[in-house]
Amino acid sequence: MAKFEVARRSLVFGVAGVLAAPALPRAQAPAVKLGILQPVTGALSQDGEHGRLGAELAINEINAGGGIRALGGARIEMVFGDARSNPEGGVSEVEKMQAEGVVAIVGGFASPICLAASQAASRYDLPYVVDVGVSDQIVSRGLANTFRFGPGFGVVTSAALDNLVALNDAAGKPSRTVVIVHEDGLFGSGMARLLNAELPKRGFEVLETIAHPTPARDMNNVALRIRSLRPDLVIPSSYYAEFVLLARTMQQQRIRPKGIYCVLNGAASNYRFVREFPDAANLVMDCNHWPDPRKPKTAELRQQVEAQNRFWLYNTPMNYSAVMLVADALERAGRADRAAVIQALAATDGAFTKHIMPYGPTRFVNGQNQAGAPVNTQVQNNDIKVIFPRDFADAQPVYPVTG
Amino acid sequence: MKGALPILAFAVLMGLAPLLVASNVVLNFLVFTLIIALAAQGWNLLGGYGGQYSFGHAAFFGTGAYVTAILQVRYGMNAYPAFTAGIGVAALVGLAIGFLAFRSGLRGSYFALVTLAFAEVFRVLANAAEMTGGAAGILIRLQANPANFQFAERGTFLWVALALVTLALLATLALERSRLGAQLVAVRENEAAAQALGVDVLAVKLRAITLSAAMTGAAGGLYAQYFLYLDANIAYGTWISVEALLAPIVGGAGTVFGPVLGAVILHGLGEATKSLAGSIPGIDLVIFGIVLILVVRFPPRDLPGLLRRRRRA
Repeated sequence: MAKFEVARRSLVFGVAGVLAAPALPRAQAPAVKLGILQPVTGALSQDGEHGRLGAELAINEINAGGGIRALGGARIEMVFGDARSNPEGGVSEVEKMQAEGVVAIVGGFASPICLAASQAASRYDLPYVVDVGVSDQIVSRGLANTFRFGPGFGVVTSAALDNLVALNDAAGKPSRTVVIVHEDGLFGSGMARLLNAELPKRGFEVLETIAHPTPARDMNNVALRIRSLRPDLVIPSSYYAEFVLLARTMQQQRIRPKGIYCVLNGAASNYRFVREFPDAANLVMDCNHWPDPRKPKTAELRQQVEAQNRFWLYNTPMNYSAVMLVADALERAGRADRAAVIQALAATDGAFTKHIMPYGPTRFVNGQNQAGAPVNTQVQNNDIKVIFPRDFADAQPVYPVTG
Repeated sequence: MKGALPILAFAVLMGLAPLLVASNVVLNFLVFTLIIALAAQGWNLLGGYGGQYSFGHAAFFGTGAYVTAILQVRYGMNAYPAFTAGIGVAALVGLAIGFLAFRSGLRGSYFALVTLAFAEVFRVLANAAEMTGGAAGILIRLQANPANFQFAERGTFLWVALALVTLALLATLALERSRLGAQLVAVRENEAAAQALGVDVLAVKLRAITLSAAMTGAAGGLYAQYFLYLDANIAYGTWISVEALLAPIVGGAGTVFGPVLGAVILHGLGEATKSLAGSIPGIDLVIFGIVLILVVRFPPRDLPGLLRRRRRA
């Protein structure tokens, strides 16, 4: 009999509970799971760690501000995956995130990881927002689930050329001759070919194009060749380590052109280079991703990052902005449903202002944000400053470099 | 064929996986492990049975992968003939490298270094060539249709990979029982003695490296069809040369099941540690390293051997 009593009592409470439920205030909406994919082991771990940091800071900020309002204040729960610096690592993490039921994935960093991971996500119509990967193939595959907020390779290189001409014209055309130094893979060779075709049209003379392998252990011969050619400008398109080596060798040999102008180089927009080799880095220019210095949030975020004893790299603001983009889409979709989020992402417009990149009003065409654009940075007094375009700049360019 | 029963049992058990396991996480893990097992089985033919340790099986893996991808993307060929051609070209590359290395009498560490150098040369060339897409890589269009050798279900791909691994296992078993297998083992144990007994050492080695390259090339083609993206570091990178030789060394070089066992142990252990201690980045690689140190430190140098020794002790 006692057993029945207990059962009856719990039945009564149960029914009462069910009846009472709608009357209670909705205390806690279920959390929305967001996949954050970054390579935090292997060769790309520095970039991956800084990308994760940006996503984390964005998620903390959203949750502290009351979560996703349209979903009853649902908190965002991060499901982190280590892409291990290779595509198969990325794919296996996408599978895990799918099993966890994430509503979207942000990140990837390197183009190969972005390509493979977004493709794996497309099997499940799972929205994928690329944080950095610049390969133009990422958004030309017709995958409806893939979005890129930042600029692609084509946009960056043409902006780099336009900005170089504008910079040179504004300074009274001090430079005319150029030496191109490039790594001999397709990235460097492609860039060198493009520069060789485009620079003469814009009034520059290419004195010589010097190729070097990656990895390269010594840049003395390249530096000596530059010294004998005495160009006004040196345009390197190499990876981080080789460029750092070249810049140091040029500094040691006291080779001082009127400018060192990099494109998507990474070193001149990397505080590691600036801190470790301040003299070699001084006044180097780069055309790359960089957050908008005019937005107050940029300084705030940078403070948070530096308070953790971390370098301020572009990965952090780009991932912060990409997570904000997904949060914005969730607000507009009004439900944590993948198809609705894809639709909302595609319909993002200028009303999305919570990002900190120096882009105009957002507009997606085939998954690519048409407003995504690079900026020109220059290392000045141990800091990285934006020098171009002028509307975004927080410093005057030091060009031509003298002395 | 005697000894084929365990292979068929393995195939049936593994083949049941997609029916029993709904999780794509597990299926994806199994597919990748099977691809590695196939590459490793290729290495095992030459390294395990023939005693010719190659550090450059990436040369064959990458060739199989690139030919499969390039024929489809640049020449519009269907995936199946492209895959078959990939295996063929990889075998030819194996024959060519083997001819150059073995004819000059390169053995042991010299042979290992030459294979490593070939793989590196291929990597640099693939990174610079227009045809391979260079550093930007080559992307096979996603069209999930069995006619394109792409499958909507990961389970289906698992069956395809499993079929190839089973074929490789049966081929290895057949080789073990064949005249060529006996000659290969003779060459491994004592090349001079084998030659004195009338074994054509060069011909035996060339056959072995060609078969070996074909198998590893098939793994490369599978990789291309599964991930649909390649660049020079994926196709010709040292990672696959290392994977291909580690699995047989851990699982038992010169045995039919060694490579499969090694691949499952190494990757299974890695995945298990990742899910148990997921918050520590790289912990699975630490375990990977520890297993390798243990295996190399305590002969007989493979895990089944270690277990047998424990039982005897």
